[in-house]
Amino acid sequence: MTYRGKAVLESPHDHEPVTGLNTATVSRQGIVTSWSDGAQRLLGHPATDVVGRVITELLAADPSDAAWAALAGAEAWSGTVAVRHRDGSRLDLGLRACPSLDSEGNATGFVLAFAPNPAGNGDGDDREMPERSFTQASVALATFDTELRYQGLNDIACEMAGTTAAQLRGRRYRDTVSDNVATRGFVRHLRQVIETGTPTSYDSQFGGRAWNIEMWPVKDPSGRVHGVGTASFDNSAQHWAQQRLALLNEAGTRIGTTLDVLRTAQELTELVVPRLADFVSVDLLDSVLQGEEPTAEPIDAGVVLRRVAHRSAVEGVPEAAVALGAVDTYPPYSPPARCLAVGRSFLSGLEDPDFVRWIEGDDVRNANVHHAGVHSGMAVPLRARGITLGVAVFWRRLRPEPFQPDDLVLAEELAGRAAVCVDNARRYTREYTAALTLQRSLLPRRLPGQAAVEAAFRYLPADTQAGAGGDWFDVIPLSGTRVALVVGDVAGHGVRASATMGSLRTAVRTLADVDLPPDELLTHLDDLVTHLTSDDDGTTASDAQDADGISATCLYAVYDPVSRRCTLASAGHPPPGVLYPDGTVTLVDLSPGPPLGVGGLPFEATELELPEGSLIALYTDGLIEARDHDIDAGLDRLCQALASPSPSLEVTCDTLIDALLTFPTVRPGEPPSRSPSDLRPRGSPSRFPRPTDDVALLVARIRALHTDQVATWGLPADPEIVADARLQASRQLKAWGLEEAGFITELVVSELVTNAIRYGAAPIQLRLIRDRTLICEVSDGNSAAPHLRRARTFDEGGRGLLLVSQLTQGWGTRQTTSGKTIWAEQLLPTGSAGGFR
Amino acid sequence: MNTDATRETPPNGRTRALGLVFPPAGGRYTGMQLDFVGRVAEAAQAYDYDVLLITGSEIGDRPFQRILTGHRVDGLILMEIRLADTRAAHLIELGFPFVTIGQSGLEKTWWVDLDWVALGRGCVRHLADLGHRRIAFVNRSEELFRAGYESAHRGLEGFDQGVAELGLTGRGHFCGDDDAEGEACLERILLEDPATTAVVTLNEASLGGVYRGLNRAGRVVPRDFSVVGMTAGPWAETVSPPLTAAGEPVDEISQVAVELMLERLDSPGASPRHVMLRPLISIRSSTGPCPSGPDTEF
Repeated sequence: MTYRGKAVLESPHDHEPVTGLNTATVSRQGIVTSWSDGAQRLLGHPATDVVGRVITELLAADPSDAAWAALAGAEAWSGTVAVRHRDGSRLDLGLRACPSLDSEGNATGFVLAFAPNPAGNGDGDDREMPERSFTQASVALATFDTELRYQGLNDIACEMAGTTAAQLRGRRYRDTVSDNVATRGFVRHLRQVIETGTPTSYDSQFGGRAWNIEMWPVKDPSGRVHGVGTASFDNSAQHWAQQRLALLNEAGTRIGTTLDVLRTAQELTELVVPRLADFVSVDLLDSVLQGEEPTAEPIDAGVVLRRVAHRSAVEGVPEAAVALGAVDTYPPYSPPARCLAVGRSFLSGLEDPDFVRWIEGDDVRNANVHHAGVHSGMAVPLRARGITLGVAVFWRRLRPEPFQPDDLVLAEELAGRAAVCVDNARRYTREYTAALTLQRSLLPRRLPGQAAVEAAFRYLPADTQAGAGGDWFDVIPLSGTRVALVVGDVAGHGVRASATMGSLRTAVRTLADVDLPPDELLTHLDDLVTHLTSDDDGTTASDAQDADGISATCLYAVYDPVSRRCTLASAGHPPPGVLYPDGTVTLVDLSPGPPLGVGGLPFEATELELPEGSLIALYTDGLIEARDHDIDAGLDRLCQALASPSPSLEVTCDTLIDALLTFPTVRPGEPPSRSPSDLRPRGSPSRFPRPTDDVALLVARIRALHTDQVATWGLPADPEIVADARLQASRQLKAWGLEEAGFITELVVSELVTNAIRYGAAPIQLRLIRDRTLICEVSDGNSAAPHLRRARTFDEGGRGLLLVSQLTQGWGTRQTTSGKTIWAEQLLPTGSAGGFR
Repeated sequence: MNTDATRETPPNGRTRALGLVFPPAGGRYTGMQLDFVGRVAEAAQAYDYDVLLITGSEIGDRPFQRILTGHRVDGLILMEIRLADTRAAHLIELGFPFVTIGQSGLEKTWWVDLDWVALGRGCVRHLADLGHRRIAFVNRSEELFRAGYESAHRGLEGFDQGVAELGLTGRGHFCGDDDAEGEACLERILLEDPATTAVVTLNEASLGGVYRGLNRAGRVVPRDFSVVGMTAGPWAETVSPPLTAAGEPVDEISQVAVELMLERLDSPGASPRHVMLRPLISIRSSTGPCPSGPDTEF
C-alpha cells in the first residue's frame, strides 16, 4: 500500500500546547529534577513520585553501552530505551537526551524527550526514517508539483525512468518521457488530481507491464494543493491472469460459432491477436481438409500442412511465410513439427537453437522473422478426441516480453477448444458432403435422351446449416415416345432424407417402367412409403421415431407427344406452372391428393392438352417458400417469372431461381472476403446463394410428334386382316424411307396383330411411330394384359413374343384406359434419323 | 435407254407414251384428281414413258378418237370406271391395250382397284368396335350412282354387308360433291334417325359440309359423333378433327396401273391380271367410343 506515514516526531512549529511535550530533566548524577505532564501521560508516573529519584529506576532494561558512554561524556544521544510504565508494563520509547550546559559549558544535567513509538532499535537519527522509507519503498513513488515537475522520486521510480533522482528533480515530467498513451494518461490523471484535490487510482500499461497507479494531492495546512504524490504498483501477474481468464471466457462464445472448419480457425486467430500474440497461424493437416478421418498415430516429421488461417497485429500480415490456403512443410526440428510429432506444445524463442535453425533455414521465414523481429514463439497442437488435426503457432514481436509458461497453458486451452470445434466442423462437413454426394449420386446428372420434351433442371442443395435434403426430379422415357416428368420432396434433411429420396426415386422409375398411369403409380408409391415406415417400427425406439417422420410429396406427369395430352397426379405436391405459347401462365388445376405415407385417400389424375411449345415447370416447395414462407406470394412470383420471355430453358431456370431465391449474399457483419465456401463440395452451384431448404426445378418445353411421323390403323378382329396390316405397315415404311426395317416390322406386326385378334378384344389398333426409334404398337380392348411387367424372359410370351423380343430392341406392354398396348421398338436403320420437326 | 423414243414415227410401233383417260367430273379437276394425274406421270416416267392426259369421257369424243386413230399412245389407263363401262367395251372391241383403275365388270380387262366392299365393311366394323350401333352411309350423288360409278356401288355394298353382319342399324344416303350437299345430307340423316352416332362417308368432297352440319346440330366430333372416311388422301389431315379414314394409296394405285400396262404391252397374249388393294383404316381423331347417352341405350 501507499506510504502515508506522518513524521514520527512532532514538529517544533506545531501549534499544540507545550504541556503536551514528553520531557523531563535529570541532573548529571541521573536524579530526576523535573517531570512534564507529557511524561506523566506517557509513563503514568506523576512528577511527585519521580522527581528526586534516579532515572534508572524507571528503566525496564539496561540501556546500551553507547548510551552510557554518551551520558558519561555529557553528549547528546538518541535511541530507544525500555521504560517501565506505572502499571508495570514495559514501553519501548524513543529517547533524545540533550545535555543542558552552564555558562562554562559544562553539563549540569540533561533534557530528555520521549517519543512513544521509536523508529528503530539501532542508532541514528529518527528524522531520516521517513526519508529512507520513501527512497527504499518497494513501489515506485514520485512527487510532482502543480507544474508537474519532479519534486522527488524513489529508487524504483528512478530505475524505471532509467536515471537518477538528481537528474530528474525539477524537470517537467513531459520532458523526461516519450509521448505515448501511457504517459499521456499519467499526465491527464496528475492534472485531474491537482484540479479536484482528491485522490485517484487507475490502471495503465507501459514497458510491457501492467500497473496500478495511485495518486493523491499534497496539500498545505490551508488545504491548497501544492503537488501530487504518486505510487505505481506492478500488478502485471494479476493483470495477465485476468486477461487469460477473459480470453478463455470469450473463447467459449467466440470460437465455434459455425460448423465451418475455416471459420473456426479464423475465430481462434481473431481471439488471440493482439491480446495474446502478435501473430498466429493455424495449419491443418491436408488430409483433415480433404475430409479424411485422421488417425491417432503419431504424425511423421516433415508433415504437409495447409494454412487455413493467420492473423497479425499489423496490417498485411507481414510475418506470414505461407499464403492462406497454401501448403507448407515444417522441417522435423522445427517447433511446429516437433509439437505435431509428440502431440505436445512447445515454448520456444531465439535462445532455442532449433528455433533459430528453423527460421534461418527458410529464406522466406527467415526474412520475415528478422524483419518482423519475432523473438518468442509457441507451437500448440490442435488435438481433439486424441487425434491431432493440425498446429497453431503463436509469435511475439511487438510485445517485448517472451511468452511465459502461463501463456503456453492458455494457448493450449484455446487451441484445445478450437480443435474440438474444428473437429466438429470437419465431421459435420464430412457428413454434409456425404449426404450431398449421396443426393447428387441419386439425382440425374443429365437428362435421358428422349424427344417428347426439351428439359432443363436445377438442383440447389440447402445451406450447410440445414444439410442436404430429399428433393428429387426425374425425366423418364416411356414407351410410345411418351415421357414421365417427376418431382418429389422427402421431408427432412441429411443422409436419411437423401437415402429415402433414393428409394422413392428408384421406386418411381421402376413403376414408370411398368407404365402405370400416374394415379396408380402414386398409389403404389404410397404403399411403398407406408411399408418403409412400418418396416422401421421393428427397430429401436429412436429409429421408429425417425420413421414416423417419413413424409414425402410427389408429382408425376406423363406427356404423350402423339396426342399432346399430359396426365398428372399429385401426392400433396404443389401444382406445376404452365406457360402456353400465347404467353398465358396458369397453375395446373389438379387435385392435390394426400402426401405419400398417409394412406386412405385416393389419388386423382388430371388430364390436359398442351399445345406444342408449351412450357411446364415442376418444382419443390423450397422454391416457392424460400423467400418469405408465403406460398401464395411464391406462386405469384413463379407465374410472373415464368411469363417473362426467355431465349432458352436454361435461362428460364435461372430466371425462376433468381426471382424466387433472392437472398443477400453476405450476412451483415460478415466480411465478404474469404468466405468458408472454399470448403464446399466441388460442383455446387456458386452462382446462387444457398436456400434454407433444398430446391429442385424441372422445366420442360412440350414438343409434338408431327402427324406424318405417326400412323394408326383400326383393325377388325379378323384373321384375314393380318396380311393387310403387314402390307400396310410395309407401305408406310416405304413412305418413310425405312424399307430396310420392313422385314422385321412385318414380322412384328404379324405376331402382335395375330395375338391381338386371337386373345384380345376389339377395338384393335396398329400404330407405327417413327421417332428416334421405330415403334410398332398393337392395342386391343382387353385390359387383362398377359404381363404387367416388362418381360425380359421369353418363356411366358410364347413363340410370337419370343420372336419379337429377339428381333427388336425392346418390347413391353402397358395398360391403357380401354385395354392394353403391346409395343416393340427397333433402332432406325443408320442414316435415317427421325425426330421432331 | 431407247433412243427411238425421240423419233416422230417409232420404227417398232412403240410411242413410249401412255394415255390417261381422266375426264374432269363437273368440268374441273379437283386437287385430288390432279394429284392422281401427277402420280401416274411419275410412275410412268420411272419406265421412261410419257403420259398424255385425255379429257374425253366417251369414246365418241374427239380427243378420244384422235388418240385411237393417230396411234399416239401405246396404251390407255382409264379412270372413273363405271360398271359396264362402255369405253372399256369399245376398246376391247378395237383390241387396243388398256388398264382400268377400278373394275368395269367386263371380262378380259386388266385392272387395279381398291376393295371398296372390304373398305365399306371395314369402316362399319371400326365403328362397331367402338360401340356404335346406329350409323349412316354418305354416298356419292344419286346421279353418279345411277351412271354406274363403281366405287359408289361397291362401297354401299360393303356398308350394307357390314351392317347386316354385325346386326347394326344403318342405311345409305346420296350426297352431292360439295359442302352444301354434305350439310343437307347430314340434316337428313339426323332427321331420319336422331339416334345416329356415326357416319361412314365415301364422299370426300362433302366432308366439310358434314362437319358443319354436325356442328350445327350440337354434336361434337368425336365425343358425340364419329365420322369415318372410306377413302382419304393427305387432306384427311387438313380437316379438324383429322379424319379417321382408309388411306387411298394413290402412289400404289398409280404404280400398279403403270406396271400392269407395261406388262400387258410386253406380253399381249397373257391372261388379264387384277390387283385389289385393301388399305387399312388410319385412326385419326374423328372417331371415338360411342357416347353412352340415353339415346343409345336400348
